[in-house]
Amino acid sequence: MKKLSLIIGVLLFFGCEPDDICSESTSTTPRLVISFFDINDIENNKTVGGLYAIAVDNQGNEIPVSGESVSSRSEITLPLNGSQNQSRFKLYKAYDVIDGVVQGNPDEITVAYSTETVYVSRACGYKNIYTIQGFSIDSDSDLWMISYEILTNNVNNENETHVKIYH
Amino acid sequence: MKMKPMLRYIISITLWLALAIPTFAQDNSEIANDSVVFQEKYGFRFGADISKLARSAFSESYSGFEVVADYRLSKRLYVAGELGFEEKSSETDFLVSSSKGSYFKAGVDYNLYNNWLGMENLLISGIRLGLSGFTQSVDSFTIYDTNSQTWGQIQSNGATEFSGLTATWIEFIFGIKAEIFNNIFLGFNVQLKGRLSETKPDNFENLFIPGFGRTYDSSKIGTGINYTISYLLPIYKKSKTVSKEEALDE
Repeated sequence: MKKLSLIIGVLLFFGCEPDDICSESTSTTPRLVISFFDINDIENNKTVGGLYAIAVDNQGNEIPVSGESVSSRSEITLPLNGSQNQSRFKLYKAYDVIDGVVQGNPDEITVAYSTETVYVSRACGYKNIYTIQGFSIDSDSDLWMISYEILTNNVNNENETHVKIYH
Repeated sequence: MKMKPMLRYIISITLWLALAIPTFAQDNSEIANDSVVFQEKYGFRFGADISKLARSAFSESYSGFEVVADYRLSKRLYVAGELGFEEKSSETDFLVSSSKGSYFKAGVDYNLYNNWLGMENLLISGIRLGLSGFTQSVDSFTIYDTNSQTWGQIQSNGATEFSGLTATWIEFIFGIKAEIFNNIFLGFNVQLKGRLSETKPDNFENLFIPGFGRTYDSSKIGTGINYTISYLLPIYKKSKTVSKEEALDE
């Protein structure tokens, strides 16, 4: 009888255990990864001093990118707007705010993409993955970006660079 | 949501103990002089799973019904089967889905229990093959995006239905059936199931399979219980004569 109760107890306990919580380690909707390279030595990364990104919506309003802060680096990750088929960002070089006046050189980029919704799990539901359909550096009088290269059109993880920008 | 299954198990365990004690604690044997003649009832037993009825009554996210039947083939062997319908909706932080359909299970029960004379209780070890035909629906979801603060969360409310899904599984059953009144039985069993096959919906997965129960991310294992009340329709009786020694052995 003891054995019987034990077997039943184990079965009931097993029946209770949930895996309904979306673990933070589950891979999420990927962001666009842009790496900056040296136009004079295209094999090498080149740091952008005081790099800072601001998202721009369809109406031209600026939206702060969550988690974004001014820093010198050669790579940036940008969240794409999953409810639109393109996203715009202002990328500042040498960003600073002095006496309430924004300093630095903003260049605007536009990424166009198609969105696919893929199933993740019971707990996490669905995530988006993207296929880049187009990329552009919008022209202005003082561009610090010189050219770009799309390395892969498939944005389905953040482990690789999707777009290279030369400067 | 989380208390209800726990409550169900607690109730089940309590009732199971209440059933088990009288069933297994029989120690007053009648010893006949030379030999004993007693009759065993053979027939068709049918009933319903009352745990599914209770769960349907108490849970808003579940409704289900199951009828059970068995037919005695020999002293210890029964052919047995279950036929049922289940509908279940589930909700996590990111996904609301539902599943509904019917199922059929067929197999055998083997009575492990040596009854005292004249008693007809069962300690069952059984095996089943299960087949389910069902429909699943993704009712709504929020795109899983840990960086959604910038552009905002994306919600999708259009339901997508996946119909014509099937699954098969093998099931091992362990349980009891006790005759509480003449020809009326109360039964409890636990089921351990292993999925053999399933049709997977495109860009989704089978989260709940009627008859099989909920699925787990990392395995093909499922569990279940049922708590039945059934009626034995006796068709014939088989007389059996055993010697005093055999009667004592039993």
